[in-house]
Amino acid sequence: MIGQILQSSSLLLLIALGGLVSERSGILNIGLEGFITVGAFVAIALRVSGVPPVAALALTALAGLLPALLFGLFALRWDANPFIVGLAINLLAAGVTPLMSEVFFGTRGSIRLSGGGGVGIWSVSVTAVVALAVVHAGLYRTLPGLRLRIAGEQPEWLRAHGAGVRRYQLLGLLVSGVTASIAGGLLSLRIGAYLPNVSAGRGWIALVIIYLGYRKPLGVGAAALFFGLVEAMAVRAQAVVAVPPTVLLALPYVVTVFAFVSYSAWRRLHQQEPR
Amino acid sequence: MRYTDVPRYDDGMKTFTAVVFAVLLACMSATSLVAAGRPEPAPPAGSYRIGVFVPGVVDGSPTYEMLVRGVRQGAQEHSNVTVTVVEGGFNQSTWEESLTSMAASRRYDLIVTSNPSMPQLAEAVAAVVPDVQFLIMDGHLTGNERIHTILFNQREQAFLSGYFAGLVTTSGMPGANNRRRIGLLAGQEYPIMNEVILVGYREGAHRVDPQIAVDFRVLGNWFDAGQAQEIAADMMTLGSDVILTIAGGGNQGVVSAARERGTYVLWYDDTGYDEAPGIVVGSSLVRQDNATYHATVAAIRGEIPWGTATILGVADDAVGFDLEHPEFLAAVPPHLVGEMEAILHELRTGQVTLEMPIPGQ
Repeated sequence: MIGQILQSSSLLLLIALGGLVSERSGILNIGLEGFITVGAFVAIALRVSGVPPVAALALTALAGLLPALLFGLFALRWDANPFIVGLAINLLAAGVTPLMSEVFFGTRGSIRLSGGGGVGIWSVSVTAVVALAVVHAGLYRTLPGLRLRIAGEQPEWLRAHGAGVRRYQLLGLLVSGVTASIAGGLLSLRIGAYLPNVSAGRGWIALVIIYLGYRKPLGVGAAALFFGLVEAMAVRAQAVVAVPPTVLLALPYVVTVFAFVSYSAWRRLHQQEPR
Repeated sequence: MRYTDVPRYDDGMKTFTAVVFAVLLACMSATSLVAAGRPEPAPPAGSYRIGVFVPGVVDGSPTYEMLVRGVRQGAQEHSNVTVTVVEGGFNQSTWEESLTSMAASRRYDLIVTSNPSMPQLAEAVAAVVPDVQFLIMDGHLTGNERIHTILFNQREQAFLSGYFAGLVTTSGMPGANNRRRIGLLAGQEYPIMNEVILVGYREGAHRVDPQIAVDFRVLGNWFDAGQAQEIAADMMTLGSDVILTIAGGGNQGVVSAARERGTYVLWYDDTGYDEAPGIVVGSSLVRQDNATYHATVAAIRGEIPWGTATILGVADDAVGFDLEHPEFLAAVPPHLVGEMEAILHELRTGQVTLEMPIPGQ
C-alpha cells in the first residue's frame, strides 16, 4: 500500500515542483499539461530510435526547455498574457505531437516499445524525492532562489536594485519545463508506450497541488503525498467496498477539496486567536 | 503584486503576437487535415456511396481498423461502390452533429459505423435526414426501417476470456500464484460491461472452479495508462495473476504492470499477443472485419433486412479465441490449449449455450 501511495504521488510531485518554481517567480504555468505531453512523446521517440533510457531521459529534459522557451518568448519578451500562452502551449502540444507521430512513425495512435521502457518501478519516486530536495534547497538556500521568489512577490524591489525580473521568471519556466518533461518521459517509459492523452490531466492536478501545499516545496510534497494516499485508497476500495466504482473514482478529488477547505479554515481560526 | 510589472500591449505587438499564434494554430490544423484523411475522387454517376463514420480515430483502434477493412473489402468486389472514411474524434458529444452533417451532405447512400451508442444517435439523425441508411456494428436497435444493427454475443466472448483466465490461475504456469483470483479492468462502467461482459467473465471462470474470485475495477476513462498501471498493480498485490483488460489506451498500463510483476494479461476483441509476447497470453476475438464485410456486401446487393437486429456468436464464426498464434502456443501449456479447443467446440455445437442479453431490456 505504501508503494502504491508513493507511485501515485511521485509523478504529481515532480510536475508540481517545477510548476511551483515558476509560480513563485510570478508566472503561473498553465502549460504543464503540454510540457508533459512533449516529454512523453520525446522519451518514447528516443527509445524507439535506440537511445538508452538514461540518455533518453536526459535528452527529454532538454526537450522540455523548448516549450518553456516558447512560453517565455511570448509571455516575457512579447508580453502576451501568461494564461493564454499556457493554454496555447497545451493546444499546440496536443496538435503537434500527433503530427510528429504521423510523420516519424506513421501513426497518430500509440507508439509502443515491445520490451518496455527500461526504467524501474521506483524511478519516478527516486526522481521526485531528488527534485524535492533540489527545489527546496534551490529556492531557500541560494541567491538565485531568493531573487526568483522576490521576482514573484516584490518585482519592483528587484528592479530597483538593478536585477532583472524576467530572467528569473524565465528560469522558473525553464525549471518547470524540465521537471514536467522528465515527468512525461518517466510516465511514458514506465508504461512502455506513448499514447494520445497520456498526460491525463496531471498538469492541472499539479497546479492544484501547488496551492494545496501553500506554495512551499515541503507543503507541495505533503499535498502530493496526501493526494496519492487518497487515490491509492480509492483504488483499493474498488476491491473491498460495495460501492459502485464510478463513485469511488471521484473520491480523491472530493476528499482533497474537503481536506483543503478544512485545513484552510482551521489555519485561519488558529491565526486569529489572540496571543 | 504579481503580474503588475507586465507592461501594456501596443497595437503592433498585438498584431505580431496574433500572427505568430495564427502560424501555430495552422500547424495544429495540419494535424486535423491528416486526421481527416485524403480526399477521394468524386464517385461516378449511378454509384453506391458508402460513408464509414468512425466514432474515434482508426489508427490504434483494432475495432475500427476491422470496421474499415471489412467495408473496403466488400466495396472492392463491386466497381460502382465508393467508400469514404470520416473520423468523429474522441469527443463523444460531437458525434451526433458529425453524423448529422455526414448524412445531410447527400453524399452517402449508406453510413456504416460501430459503437454501442451509435444506434440511438443514428435513430435521431434518421428522424431529420431522409433517404440515408445506417448499418451499425456492435449495437442493437429494432424497428427503424432505415437502420440495421449487428451485435456480437459478448457474453460468449467474455465467457471464453473468463474460462481461459480460470485455467491460467489454477495452472502451474510460471506467473500463476496459488490464489484463485483473476481480474477485469474496464475503462468505464456501461450496461454491456456490467450486465454482459462481467457476468460472462465470471461464468467462464466459475466453470473451471466456482471458488475463483473476480476482482472487477474501473479506470474511469479510456486513455489513462498511468492510472491503469497503478490499478493493475493493486489488483496483482491482492492476488490476481491474470487480468482481462478492456480499457482502451489504459491496456498498455496493465501490460506494463504485468511485465514488472511477472503476471499475465488477456486481450479483448483482437489478437494482442504481439503487444507483449509472454505477457499477453490470451485473446478472445470479435471478427468484426468478417461480419462487416458480409453485411456490406448484403447492403450493396439490397439484401439487408432493414429494421431488424442480428446477433452473431461463436457458432457464426463471429466470436472466438485466437488459439493459433505462435506466441500463444509458446506461452501456454498444450493441455490448456486443448481445454480451450474443447470449450469452443461445445459453444459451436450448442452443448453450451449462452444467450446474449439485450442491454437495457
